[in-house]
Amino acid sequence: MKIRGTKSTEKIEPQMAPMIDVVFQLLIFFMLTLKIIEPEGDFTVNMPIGQSAAESDSPKPPVIKVRMKADPVTGEMYSMTIANKELFASAPGASQEEKSSNAFKRLNSEILNAIGSPGNPLADDQEVELDPDFALNSKYLINAIGACRGRVQRVNGQARMIDYIKNIKFASPREEGAGG
Amino acid sequence: MKFKKANVATAEIDMTPMIDIVFQLIAFFMVITNFEQTQADERVILAKDALAMPPKVKREDELTVNIGFERNLEGEKIDPQAYIFWPGEKMLIEGLEAKLRLEAQIYRDEGKDIKEITVVIRADAEVPTGIVQGVIKIAQKDGIKFEKFAIKAQQSVDP
Repeated sequence: MKIRGTKSTEKIEPQMAPMIDVVFQLLIFFMLTLKIIEPEGDFTVNMPIGQSAAESDSPKPPVIKVRMKADPVTGEMYSMTIANKELFASAPGASQEEKSSNAFKRLNSEILNAIGSPGNPLADDQEVELDPDFALNSKYLINAIGACRGRVQRVNGQARMIDYIKNIKFASPREEGAGG
Repeated sequence: MKFKKANVATAEIDMTPMIDIVFQLIAFFMVITNFEQTQADERVILAKDALAMPPKVKREDELTVNIGFERNLEGEKIDPQAYIFWPGEKMLIEGLEAKLRLEAQIYRDEGKDIKEITVVIRADAEVPTGIVQGVIKIAQKDGIKFEKFAIKAQQSVDP
């Protein structure tokens, strides 16, 4: 047997190369799989569709009805009424986006008018029924739900949600092609 | 000029700081990578709304239904027909009933309460509302009977 007595103080170098290979592989894998996703939120919708909620003993305030009409071909909204009050056609704005954004702001303030003040206990019983045309692009439906649901208040850069009405339901779906 | 001839000893690179940084990066990407969004279909471009906030309490069971259009790389619609993007296949709304019936049966066989399962609808911003309502209506049919519904939207950050 050979005993290396003299060279026992030899420096042992860890093998870095394979570790760095693997580490770079991992790094590249995670970098490539990274998909930047904007946060997705959702709205809960009260069902059953087209049926009024179960009758209760306490009298309920009348349902606020929001009717939305859309072009049967493009699905762009051209009219939105709340309790027979037109909100879209008379909304200011040059483009469809501006008009609809202003119309939803008006819907938002109409809803606030209806419930008095945010957090009003009456608002818990209040229901909104959305009655859209078949062809209406679903983005308008989302915006309408958002406008009825409340608004976002920013305090020191922090977004806080102020609830208006939580009970949002849909009217019976309208037939395809039936507009106006 | 002076040349140091004696210094032919191996030049050693100090690996420690580099590995520190690389591990930091790996840890960052691992944490940020989200494998959970697998049910989302990238063809669906969601509508945007400021009030669409992610649920505060994570739902235990949810069933995602993607509704969208076939789009090209520029994001333009190449087919005006809206489809349901079910995992592995693309179908018209007529095909959804059989799928939901099967899904509901699986939940029941697992002993789960169908009333507690949320059907999450991810509808493209341009999908006709009637189709969204149609999906909800199908999911409420006898023998399927889902009761909780949510409609997804992307949270917009404009003031």
